[in-house]
Amino acid sequence: MNSKVTNRIALSLIVLCAVIMVSTLAALLGYILVKGLTNISWHFLTSESSAFMAGGGIKDQLWNSFYVLIITMILTIPIGTSGGIYLAEYARPGKLTSFIRSCVEVLASLPSIVVGMFGMLIFVNYFGFKFSVLSGALALTVFNLPVIVRVTEDGFRALPLHQKEGGLALGLTHWHTIKTILLPEAFPSILTGIILSAGRVFGESAALLFTAGMSTPNLDFTNWNPASPNSPLNLFRSAETLSVHIWAVNTSGIIPDIQAVANGSSAVLVICVLMFNLLARAVGKMINQKLSGR
Amino acid sequence: MKISKAMISELPDDLPKSSLLKEKGLIKRFTDRYSESRGRTIIYGSAFTVIIAVVAITLFLTLQGLRSFVVDHINFWTFITGTDWNTDQTKNPSFGAFAFIFGSMSVTLLAALIATPIAIGSAIFMAELAKKWGQRILQPVIEILVGIPSVVYGFIGLTVIVPFMRVHFGGSGFNMLAGAIVVGVMILPTVTSIAADSIRAVPDSLREASYAIGATKWQTIWRVVIPAAGSSLMTAIVLGMSRAFGEALAVQMVIGNATKFPHSIFDPAATLTTIITLSMGDTTTGSVINDALWSLGLILLIISYVFILIIRLLSRRRNV
Amino acid sequence: MVVQMENKITSFVNSEDVDRPVLINVEDTNIYYGDNHAVKHVNMPIHERSITALIGPSGCGKSTFIRTINRMNDLIPSARCEGKIDYHGINILSPKVDVVKLRTEIGMVFQQPNPFPKSISENIQLPLKFAGIHNKKTLRDVTEKCLKQVGLWEEVKDRLDRSATGLSGGQQQRLCIARALALKPDVILLDEPTSALDPVSSAKIEELLLQLKKDYTIVIVTHNMQQAARIADYTAFFYQGELVEFGTTKTLFTMPEKKSTSDYICGRFG
Repeated sequence: MNSKVTNRIALSLIVLCAVIMVSTLAALLGYILVKGLTNISWHFLTSESSAFMAGGGIKDQLWNSFYVLIITMILTIPIGTSGGIYLAEYARPGKLTSFIRSCVEVLASLPSIVVGMFGMLIFVNYFGFKFSVLSGALALTVFNLPVIVRVTEDGFRALPLHQKEGGLALGLTHWHTIKTILLPEAFPSILTGIILSAGRVFGESAALLFTAGMSTPNLDFTNWNPASPNSPLNLFRSAETLSVHIWAVNTSGIIPDIQAVANGSSAVLVICVLMFNLLARAVGKMINQKLSGR
Repeated sequence: MKISKAMISELPDDLPKSSLLKEKGLIKRFTDRYSESRGRTIIYGSAFTVIIAVVAITLFLTLQGLRSFVVDHINFWTFITGTDWNTDQTKNPSFGAFAFIFGSMSVTLLAALIATPIAIGSAIFMAELAKKWGQRILQPVIEILVGIPSVVYGFIGLTVIVPFMRVHFGGSGFNMLAGAIVVGVMILPTVTSIAADSIRAVPDSLREASYAIGATKWQTIWRVVIPAAGSSLMTAIVLGMSRAFGEALAVQMVIGNATKFPHSIFDPAATLTTIITLSMGDTTTGSVINDALWSLGLILLIISYVFILIIRLLSRRRNV
Repeated sequence: MVVQMENKITSFVNSEDVDRPVLINVEDTNIYYGDNHAVKHVNMPIHERSITALIGPSGCGKSTFIRTINRMNDLIPSARCEGKIDYHGINILSPKVDVVKLRTEIGMVFQQPNPFPKSISENIQLPLKFAGIHNKKTLRDVTEKCLKQVGLWEEVKDRLDRSATGLSGGQQQRLCIARALALKPDVILLDEPTSALDPVSSAKIEELLLQLKKDYTIVIVTHNMQQAARIADYTAFFYQGELVEFGTTKTLFTMPEKKSTSDYICGRFG
């Protein structure tokens, strides 16, 4: 065949692939948002879910999602950033370092359900935390840790060497240089990564099924004492998050308005994830402007 | 400008002028402000946590997963080759997990078959044909889609693909192909984004050399760019497959969860992840069926490790 | 040729500054980057309260060498040093030396001005705070004095809490010198401090160094021979990792012993 003709055909096929891809994904987003937005109302967002009747909302699930996310981040950020700093600043090439790197890689690629099973085995059963916010957050910490480690390491590696030299040449210790000079400088890029990972954690479901549980006690949003069993802040109560709720409603729900609840919940979930994404992008853009504005 | 050292004489004189040699002693190392042992302890401790997490996951899942063979005396061979999964305690229960292993493998392969051509094609489009808009519009859109939670994909599969299957191929509509399509679409953005990165990493000098000898765009892509990006493209596909393999809820929602061995892609089936998702909550810890589920988890873990190894090998070849 | 050179450089530094006692003595020092022998068998003294310039074509090992004097090369995992650099009876290269304390006594300023992205006063106060000085008045006084020493006070006194990255290149470099002075070091090492600056800023820095040498021992790496001739009391010429020649600047520029020195000074290579 004439090479020009082949060229034409092949390139059209490539464009076709791109068109299929974009239209699939656009349809997907469009479907979720269009179908879901009609089901979202103030009532839907602020009322409790119902086990049997129509008209339930997602107040508790939404709260749980954010609460689990916050606890996860409180646990992950210090450990993850420190681990990243270790890899970027302290690790010397050698067996230990490559072993740690392999471990980060393994953690990052384990299926989330495996992490969930581990969480069930250790946190839920062994430590006796039961199905709880804490168990869920700990499982998600395992799941999120490698992301934060990588983000931090990349953030530190992107810094110019002369800042570090400047600190060390003044007789600051390595640690002090990291703390007072490098960390503040790497902070914006680390923050971007953290927000992105927050979106991932927010949507995670498989790791939470067996750790945070599939039910929520009747939360009393006027009771902010973390020790009381129906307080929203209680760490040791079970907590069904929004994404688990979508799954549960679809697979074992017996309410008459499954479709409406699932549509609405999916849209809320997607919107939240989109917001995390846009926020991360905005932070990234801000940094770029600050850097080029110098 | 008269300068003299006396000008800054208010500085305490005991500053660092004492000794240049290192201080000895464990306590001193933690209290001395020149020491960095405190910071170092935090940092090293965190790095160590990562190791602990991986070792603990591997160790505990292995121990728990071996229980069904060691404690409950299930035959290992019949476990991984048997196709009869009958957990009813009253009648003679049998645990043959081959149907699930097969289900996981075929869903993964089918998903890769669905996703790969479209993903690689789109990646070429983004990185070779429409660089500007590929960068500016497609890339962010794809990155956003990578972040869409898997339950959402599952939910769409349930409301769109399953009814479609029911109408056109009969049966309940819950089948293996539906599962494969759902995860295929799910890994599409991931594979595309990594593949596009690896195509961008191909140096321009190679392309120029190809154009210089009169090759068409397609010849350049096919003979130069794709071979040069080869193992990275493979990495992208394998990464996608490992994600597809480990996906639980999205597949579970559409695959039908039949424990029988599927005879065609239009039969309902089950995978390792779906059977765990479905049954784990209903079984009591320590029961034979529960142990068998942990063994399935162990198989899942082992195959995940195999994927990780393959990815390592691929990326090592790339670095050489 | 050499005579022409002498005519071009009208004023060498005062010769009375060249009899100072030796503060740092470098004895048979070798530096390696992996298998690459970057600095070979260097022997030279560094005299107290004088300016010693290290010159030579790029890649000759002069920067590597100066970075060894306060152990900045420890940052490079593949770098390795052998030999002895004697400072107050202590071998700087010894593993027993606390490099952090060493660097408070032997400060360093780099080619690229590298103020921290913090306010001007914070830039100077950071090392002081780390050294345990928290008295606000002392901090303020030291900041003012250091900035006065480098002649930056008048230019920045109204914007001490603005970001240091907003300063011009020359101001940034002087801030970096002020920062290095804050802890009252004995020695200041400068690695091509003016190569990223315009001529006017460079001249200011040179003038500043001549002032500072009354109180500090200064070692400067420069690829600008005129600069070495203008400010240095002693000059060391490095070529291909070896110290070819060391002597008072006047001797080295007017009566070099080695041919490669005179070739370099006359601009035949480099």
